[in-house]
Amino acid sequence: MKELLIGKLGWESLPHEWFTIGAAVTFIAMGLVVALVITRLKRWKWLWKEWLTSVDPKKIGIMYFIVAGLMLLRGGLDAIMIWVQQALSTGSSQGFLTADHFQQIFTAHGNIMVFFVAMGFVSGLINYIVPLQIGARDLASPFLNTLGFWLYVAGVIMVNMFFLLGGEYAATGWLGVAPLSGREFSPGVGVDYMIWSLQISGIGTTLGAINFIMTILRMRAPGMTLKKMPLFTWGSLCSMIMAVTVFPLLTATLFLLFFDRYFGTHFFTTTAGGDPMMYTNLIWMWGHPEVYILMLPSFGIFSEVVSTFSRKRIASYTSNVVGMIGVSLFALSVWLHHFFTMGAGANVNAFFGLMTMVIAIPTTVLVFTWIATMYRGRIRFTTPMLWFLGFVGLFSVGGMTGVLLAVPPADFQLHNSLFLVAHFHTMVIGGVLFGIFAGIAYWFPKIAGIRLNERIGKYAFWCWLIGFLMAFTPLYVLGIMGATRRLNHYDASTGWRPFFIMALVGGIIIMVGVALQFVQIIASFIQRRQLIDVTGDPWDGPSLEWSTASPPPSYNFTVIPQVASRDAYWEMKQQGLPEHTFEDIHMPKNTASGIYISVFAFLAGFGFVWNIVWLIIASILGIIICVIARTFNEETEYTLTAEEVEKLESARIKRALAAHASKDEGSAGDMGLLEFVQVVIKWALDVVKSKRWRSW
Amino acid sequence: MVAANKEMSHEAAANDRVMFGFWVYLMTDLLMFTVLFAVYAVLHGNTAGGPSGRELFSLPLALTETLILLTSSLTCGIGMIAARRGSKKQVLVWFSITFVLGLAFFGLEMKEFAEFIHEGHTLQSSAFLSSFFTLVGTHGLHIISGLLWIVITLAFVLKRGLNPHMIRKLGLLSLYWHFLDIVWIFIFTVVYLMAFV
Amino acid sequence: MSSTHSTKHQPKSEHGTTESYVIGFLFSIVFTIIPYLLVVNRSVSGSALLATILGFAVLQMIIQILFFLHLGRGPKPLYNVVFFISTVSIILVVIGGSLFIMKHLHYNMSPTEVTKNRAEKEAIYQVGGRKTGACQAIGANHKVTIGDGIVNPLHTRASLCDTLTFISQDNTLHEITFGPHPRHDTYAGEDELPLRKGRGNTITLNQLGTYQFHDHLHPELSGEFAVSP
Repeated sequence: MKELLIGKLGWESLPHEWFTIGAAVTFIAMGLVVALVITRLKRWKWLWKEWLTSVDPKKIGIMYFIVAGLMLLRGGLDAIMIWVQQALSTGSSQGFLTADHFQQIFTAHGNIMVFFVAMGFVSGLINYIVPLQIGARDLASPFLNTLGFWLYVAGVIMVNMFFLLGGEYAATGWLGVAPLSGREFSPGVGVDYMIWSLQISGIGTTLGAINFIMTILRMRAPGMTLKKMPLFTWGSLCSMIMAVTVFPLLTATLFLLFFDRYFGTHFFTTTAGGDPMMYTNLIWMWGHPEVYILMLPSFGIFSEVVSTFSRKRIASYTSNVVGMIGVSLFALSVWLHHFFTMGAGANVNAFFGLMTMVIAIPTTVLVFTWIATMYRGRIRFTTPMLWFLGFVGLFSVGGMTGVLLAVPPADFQLHNSLFLVAHFHTMVIGGVLFGIFAGIAYWFPKIAGIRLNERIGKYAFWCWLIGFLMAFTPLYVLGIMGATRRLNHYDASTGWRPFFIMALVGGIIIMVGVALQFVQIIASFIQRRQLIDVTGDPWDGPSLEWSTASPPPSYNFTVIPQVASRDAYWEMKQQGLPEHTFEDIHMPKNTASGIYISVFAFLAGFGFVWNIVWLIIASILGIIICVIARTFNEETEYTLTAEEVEKLESARIKRALAAHASKDEGSAGDMGLLEFVQVVIKWALDVVKSKRWRSW
Repeated sequence: MVAANKEMSHEAAANDRVMFGFWVYLMTDLLMFTVLFAVYAVLHGNTAGGPSGRELFSLPLALTETLILLTSSLTCGIGMIAARRGSKKQVLVWFSITFVLGLAFFGLEMKEFAEFIHEGHTLQSSAFLSSFFTLVGTHGLHIISGLLWIVITLAFVLKRGLNPHMIRKLGLLSLYWHFLDIVWIFIFTVVYLMAFV
Repeated sequence: MSSTHSTKHQPKSEHGTTESYVIGFLFSIVFTIIPYLLVVNRSVSGSALLATILGFAVLQMIIQILFFLHLGRGPKPLYNVVFFISTVSIILVVIGGSLFIMKHLHYNMSPTEVTKNRAEKEAIYQVGGRKTGACQAIGANHKVTIGDGIVNPLHTRASLCDTLTFISQDNTLHEITFGPHPRHDTYAGEDELPLRKGRGNTITLNQLGTYQFHDHLHPELSGEFAVSP
């Protein structure tokens, strides 16, 4: 009876380890605090109407940033635990983590960073910036947009759900390789949580990718041919086409693994004809293109950043585009380099090794176009430019280690060593993450209406760069010395400990950098009067997004602009800006169906994890009903008349003029760290002294 | 007048986008099937001592299913022509025939599965059977979803009549149905015919 | 009026006529029946048959793409066609790549082969209750020295589950393989044993019979051993 009602759930599923109790308490406490604050400020309705049910890609983009930022902290916490464990655990000490827990940590670290941090930030940036860059008001399908976001959130909740119920996550490594991830060797719910969180968010990503492709290909402003698109949009297009190509492979493969676990099929088992090697083959067919999916938008961001802060058009637009397309095409033909050592033999290894080395060519073309753009440019060393310079150095070196790994005999020595770990972290941090940070620093004025504090931003950059070098250079050395990845303990006689300690120190410096990034945002808001962006174009930017207000109105443009050339806004500024006219605007209505469908999707996944059959059936029915209700709904838009738009615009201009008048022009400059600390202490003392806290 | 034209082009542009987006979705569905085909191609020889396709499959049954599904694709297409002509009655007739044929196809497939299971050949018996049931079963799941979609759409057509929105819905439905027939061609060839080669 | 207005804008050919559907239907039937008959009557066989039926499947797909889905006749730019062609390419990469990789993996790493090799090397004579054929216990050791033009001894008599060690005497590289030159037969899972000065290479004699061995690099160096129960 109990089985019918709650499946495999039981009292033992509740948290009873130190980390599950700690995390459960933290999450619940955080949730309560947030709920309390919203209730106190009486903002529930506002939150629901203005943000949660919004289909505005600008709002959805900001929500992506918030969730991805939180998951960056969550994944970073995993990283700290790994660093501390590896610095401590040698000789007679076993560190502070059990072997099984350690395995769950690095698995969760990988899943979270790839799926929920990197993909989250990338989705957020594309959502916010691409429609503005192409002169569109919204994405092609506002409904798919909100659905994609909420499915992502459902995945985020699912990957953290084990803290509250279940107590264990997968201990298989972030890709869940078979047969370790099969029912026989991982009988608990950990792998099921992993499968369903990846599955649900993966479907969200696929739907989002379809949406972005429809938008970029069919909703560009008149006159903007593909050859006139900004490079960030090109990078996003290539990335999303790859996403639409390979995420279905992931979905199908995860379903097959799920079938093995749930229905007892024999796809990847060790008996009855199953073939675990086929899992490795299929999962890397997705896995390799995935890293390029993350990388290509960053390439696009860097193209924009280099161009703007060198005050030059990109050195060779065509080479840049061909480079990005080349990377996308080759990315689909190299996946075997992740398992050279599985035994396919020399012929197969040689082919894939060659293809992997070939990818270096279009990538290098891109680097050359950026450097050539800088040459004879009038360079401004703003924070985004610093992120770019850090990226160029790190990415080139990391790329070279990749070409080294592409040589099969070398890979036989270095496969699954710390050298490999250092390589891919160089690419992902030095490439993807630095790109995201550059993009956020570059577009922050557009999104928030205020510039970011440059001083603290630079401190944060240097902490990241120095911290990264300290944390990962020792790993390159360790890898060549023979250290394997994912070790929770190693012999004292290896002499590896100093390296791990240096890595830990580097990690701490990175954490300081992260803290500084949060401080930077807070300091910017404290100084917002001084940092406010009234023109909408603080950097003298080349593309259309800079022609709108900061932040843009919900409809982006009063009239869709006519585009005549590349770097459309630079062109417009030279030729004279178009007149302000007004026309009727069709806007999509908000909808809660994205939230409802995602809730049902989460419940269905949860039902599968715990084998609660009635929940599975009810949730799937719920999804079907919601989908029918939404897709057969013919009233999904409303119209803003030209008069209403005119009113909104004049109100906005009045506010902008008032802000301009009150702008604090004569101040000393961006506040430094010391000043920030002083301001915070002063505020805290003030609150206590005036007893203001009583009214909270 | 200008506003009305913009209205129409706004609708036509939206229509075109939706059809294109759905086409991209069908490509992703095709890629999911590709994984199932790849797995079948790699594992179909792993019978773990049990029966292979040659011993289990009935080619006449497979041919019958193929011809039924093919006919339903034809009736679906004719229904679509009726929709663009604005003939509500014809739409109901032809899509209902499509539904009946699809149901017959699904029934035959279920009969085949039931026979295998009754004889003890389940998807847990071997890698071959796991791949067979999953590949053909996933196609069957798509068919059932399509049948449900036909019923719901016809219900809305009855209620709302044949407005442009409903015509677009029928267009998406026929795209989906034709796509399922194309996937079936390959299942018929790679699973059933290839077993006897 | 407005409901049919927008549909009249589109050219008729984009959405097909009854004729196009019927033609597509008839072609599809033909392209289904032909491969069916070919398989049932076994008029062609083997890989030729496989290629033929796959060819017909592709043909029928193209017919249905053109006549049922009307691909290529929508408004330009024809992104539909681009996406379709690229999807087909990916399908070829996924399926072709998987078959290429898995075929090689199975050849080199097939479970029974790997198990057998492992079992031999570690004298594991039973796996999951079934005997592997490996030796349960190791018997005597026989040495064969090779070098300076001499194989000593030329004939070795051994019992089942004894070991045989090849040792090199000189500074040249020797590669021991089995069977008469130039064949490379396999014995006990080994087919190439490199020998360097001072380093030996040992095999377990778990197959009965008399076998030749020779140095592939210096074929005049050869000998034989006989394994009896």
